[in-house]
Amino acid sequence: MSYLLEIEGVGFSYGGRSVLHSATFRAGEGEFLALLGMNGAGKSTLLDIVSGFRRPETGSVAIAGRNQRLWTLREMSQQVSHLPQSIHSDLPFTAEQLVGMGRYPHTDRWFESDEDHRFIQQAMQRTRCWAQRHRLFGSLSGGERQRVLLAACLAQNASTLLLDEPSTFLDIEHQLHCFTLLREEARMGKLCVAVTHDLNLALTYCTRLIVLADGVVAHDIPTSQVHSDADKGWLALFSSRLSIGSTPAGTPWIWYR
Amino acid sequence: MSSPQQFSFVARNSLALSVLVFMGAALVLPWVGAGPISLARVLRHEAPDYDILVQLRISRTLLALVAGGALSLAGALFQAMLRDALATPYTLGISAGASLGAVATIAAGWETFFGIPVTWIGALAGAFSVLVLVIGGSFKRRQISAFSLLLTGIAINSVCAAFIIILSSFAGMSRSFSIARWLIGSIDATSYSSLGVLAAVVFITSGFILSQARSWNLLAVGERWAASRGVRVGGLLGRGYVAGSVLVAGAIALTGPIGFVGLIVPHLVRSRISPDHRVLMPCVFFFGGALLAFCDALGRIVMPPAEIPAGAVLALIGGPYLVWVIRQRIPVEEI
Repeated sequence: MSYLLEIEGVGFSYGGRSVLHSATFRAGEGEFLALLGMNGAGKSTLLDIVSGFRRPETGSVAIAGRNQRLWTLREMSQQVSHLPQSIHSDLPFTAEQLVGMGRYPHTDRWFESDEDHRFIQQAMQRTRCWAQRHRLFGSLSGGERQRVLLAACLAQNASTLLLDEPSTFLDIEHQLHCFTLLREEARMGKLCVAVTHDLNLALTYCTRLIVLADGVVAHDIPTSQVHSDADKGWLALFSSRLSIGSTPAGTPWIWYR
Repeated sequence: MSSPQQFSFVARNSLALSVLVFMGAALVLPWVGAGPISLARVLRHEAPDYDILVQLRISRTLLALVAGGALSLAGALFQAMLRDALATPYTLGISAGASLGAVATIAAGWETFFGIPVTWIGALAGAFSVLVLVIGGSFKRRQISAFSLLLTGIAINSVCAAFIIILSSFAGMSRSFSIARWLIGSIDATSYSSLGVLAAVVFITSGFILSQARSWNLLAVGERWAASRGVRVGGLLGRGYVAGSVLVAGAIALTGPIGFVGLIVPHLVRSRISPDHRVLMPCVFFFGGALLAFCDALGRIVMPPAEIPAGAVLALIGGPYLVWVIRQRIPVEEI
């Protein structure tokens, strides 16, 4: 099997504070990974490294079977798209203009082609923000913004989607919609890696849980094996007050004591 | 602009309009001035009409068009790079550095150096010293922080202002008068050779800036946003700062520091036409040039035979208008 993403012994520190020590995992087409961990466990840092925003101090990252350093930035951006937690801009772009920027890596045309517009429309309809396309980004609510950013990510049509807390500002309906959409993307042959703190969303929609702790991948569990996995140590990493049970449908569910 | 076709329609129309206004200003404004000029006498090359038109009015209008375009485009560029609608070469201190350099050459009484006006050399040297200081001062882990850039700019503005005051108090009466007049920002008739050099520099630099319009769009949203869409951010920012400083120093050396045009024109085009730099930047260049030329022409006719410098006219019209525009904005549009 060929892997879309291979992370080998990646280490990174901010100043003297080591965040990642030696993180290693591989993932391929059709997978939807939940990247879990406590605050400061290095989840966002790891996404930054895969996106190319930061260079790992040790170890290596390979994208689609080729070392990340051998890709040009433009080639990388056709392979990998990154959903930021938020954007801070003083300048008044409309939702549609922001989503349209996802098409830039694919063409040198001055203005978007009809094909680009189809991608933009499709992405905005799938994330349910097409009705807001003419609104200024800054005038949108937190949830609407998040949907626009997700549409921008989809319009980029990369094979690997890195999502930094994609559901944080969404209401429950849209959280479920967002994760359903990402699972659809994975089923269509993409690789999605989402940072999240919502363990039940992760258990319900993701195919695999990657738990970062102490700078390494402490646990790497397919969600289908969460029940049979005797070691419940990964749960204790988050809080001692968590227990795992089942929904009436038999899927795992985490409840709080 | 509900469909792609309609969008490019709006874009194309605004672009065409801005070019028309620019051309119209170039054709009409030289005829505006204190004394009437007879076309018949101009065609017969008769003095003084022919000389007034060709030697004074045309060169002055062209200078206003080129300098206004350059300063406005530089404003739009810095706003995109710093993601801040208030960033201009003025707020960054680049304008102040160029002014200090130019004022130093005026105070020293130098005029030309191998046919090049020395204010140019002074302005360029000033602008680039500030650029090195400002960017050097705000580099953090190989990244430029917009916030410290603006803060450094404010500090540099006051230091340069202090030096300018010192220089003009040591300069003699007449020189300190020409410094004061230069500082207001006036468009004076200039030789066609310096105009030609300025135009060439401005067109090449603006061409480079315009060609990167898609990248400015991305950068205006965020550096990571740009990097994750294929832009090499560090290199592009470096080239952007150099290009912007060349535009500012080139224009300011001949006109004096006219800061306002770089704030008001991008703001209006962004809110009225489009924030998309592929449309915004060419529109800003053409409208900015036309606006400065218009203010210069207005300054010639309101109180003849006295002339009000273009910088003062621009501030008098533009200031209240900008305040009015900002007050008109609906709160939700405030980003």
